[in-house]
Parts: sequence; C-alpha cells; structure tokens
Amino acid sequence: MVSNSAIRKTTPKARFTLIGVRRGMLRLMPVAIFVIPFGIGFGAAAVQTGVSTTQASVMSGLVFAGASQFAVLDLWQSPLPLFSLTLVTLAVNARHIIMGAALSGWINQLSPWQRALALVTLSDANFADTQTSLRSGDPEIGYLLGGGLMLWMAWTTGTILGATIGSLAGNLDQWGVDVVMPAFFAAVVCGDLRQGARILPVITAVAVALLTVDLLPAGWNIIAAAVSGGLVGAVQHGR
Amino acid sequence: MVDNLPAAIAIVAMALVTLLTRLAGPWLMRHVPATPRVEAFLEAMSTSVIAGLIVTTLLHSGLREGGAVLAAMAVMWLTRSAVAAMATGILTAAIWSAVAG
Repeated sequence: MVSNSAIRKTTPKARFTLIGVRRGMLRLMPVAIFVIPFGIGFGAAAVQTGVSTTQASVMSGLVFAGASQFAVLDLWQSPLPLFSLTLVTLAVNARHIIMGAALSGWINQLSPWQRALALVTLSDANFADTQTSLRSGDPEIGYLLGGGLMLWMAWTTGTILGATIGSLAGNLDQWGVDVVMPAFFAAVVCGDLRQGARILPVITAVAVALLTVDLLPAGWNIIAAAVSGGLVGAVQHGR
Repeated sequence: MVDNLPAAIAIVAMALVTLLTRLAGPWLMRHVPATPRVEAFLEAMSTSVIAGLIVTTLLHSGLREGGAVLAAMAVMWLTRSAVAAMATGILTAAIWSAVAG
C-alpha cells in the first residue's frame, strides 16, 4: 500500500480518451509527413532486395518498426534464415521495452485491453512526444496511440508508394528529409532539459552509446545507454 | 524472390516479436515497486534512450547531419518549438546538400 500511495503522489491519474488520440494524431502530423519519404526509401530498397510489393507493404503494416525492417533486408534470401531474422528484429526493437517501462507509471493505471491498445503503435517518435507531455503533467495516454496511428499511416503509405513507383522518386535525401528524426529527437531532449531534466544522465547516455556501439550487436548500445543514464538518474535522486 | 509462405511466416514472426517488445515494458514494471528512486531511474532513462538514438544515428552519418541536429537544438532552446526546430534541421541539411553537392 505504501508503494500505491507513492504512485498517486508522483503520477497523476492517467486518461485515455478519443480526444487525446485525435490530438496525438495532429501533434505528430509534422513528423509523420516526413516519415512518408522514409517509407518510400524502405519500399524501394525492399523491392530491390527481392521482397515483393505485397510482402513489403504487409511487413510495414504489421511490423511497423523501420530500423528492424531495414535490418532484415540484409538477411532476405531463399531459404529465409527465420531464426536470425527473428533475433535481429528482437535486438533492434528491444528499446521498445525500455520505452514502455518508462511510461509504465501511467500505462499500468489502464485496464489490460486499454494498455495493449495504447502500446500497439509504440515507437520512437510517439514515445518521445508522449513522455514529454506526461512528464509536464498532462496524463493523457491517447497521444501515444494517436501519434502512433499517424506514423503508421505514413510509414505504410510510404512503403506502398516506394515498392510500386520507388524508382521514380529519386534521392529524396538532398531535400533534407533524412535529418527529420534526429532533429525531432534532439528537440525533445532539449525540451526535457529545459523542463528541468538533469544533464548528467544524458551525458552518460551519449558517452555509453558511443563507447559500446562497436562492442555490442546492433541496437543494444541504445539500451546500454538508456540503462546507464537511468542509473545515473537514480543515484542522483535526492542529492 | 522468396516464396510467399516462408515470407509470410517471417513477417508474422517479426510482427509478434515486435509486439512483444511493445507490451513487455509496462508488464515487467508491474513487478517493480514504484519508489521515488525507481521513478527517478525511469525518468532519466526516458531522456537517455532518445539521446542514445540520436548518437547512434549521427555515428552512421556525417557533418551535414550533425550540423542540422545542432541547428535544430539551438532553435529548440530559443523557441521551445519542436516544429521550428525540425524545420531548421531540414533547411540546414537541404542547403548543405545544395551547396556541397
């Protein structure tokens, strides 16, 4: 019961509303627009690797995790190495576990079905957006699903476009669209720091991500960075 | 070209594993008491995971992307607008591409 009252004190009562979902969609629209060229890039690369247009589109619709989808293209050959393919997907997407854990104080107040619905589109950009708003005292989980749906539509539409007419698109990177995600994430980190997040965990995370990138399998350096940053935050707590 | 059946199995396996990673975090945390120190850990971790993502992306790119991200950070710091920051990042990268080819 002690831990229960601690939740109440630090985490306001979570909401999961349709209005929140709609607002989440609008909030991430500027990011999602630039996910379309990413999707086009994936669709075109997939078709070049020998993934059919249908396979690529279904993959984007069901998996909806760009980094892991690009990663499995390297393994896409006949016969398919199912085990490595699944393992690579797990490694590249394991950061979702970290993100989900970070949101757990709010998510776990929902019913099991709402929880699953809120998490089904969890990805980097809607996590980044929602953790900021939750932390600033707006306990609306709908932003996570809304933002995720927007990103999902953009990713799937882009993939279909890229897989069908990708060769016509040419190189979209020259217009700067490739920096949208890192620029958005940098803005989120900046915003967190301005809102009073401590800088030492962030510096630790940056250092650990750099130091472990060549030592660990793809994707795990981000997890090492996140956990180290978290530990520094926990040690700093109360000082 | 990979046949449709093995491809379908692979895609479903990928989708299930990915869904599992999405659901696992909050489920695991049900078994951890929410003390203030745990909350401090989670809060620091949520900024740290984003920082780790940026660094890893930038490692695989160059000065152009690094410059664009720095410009975006500066604008975010000054305006507190993520949209303005992203627009600045895109513009910086596009101009860089146009000038440097």
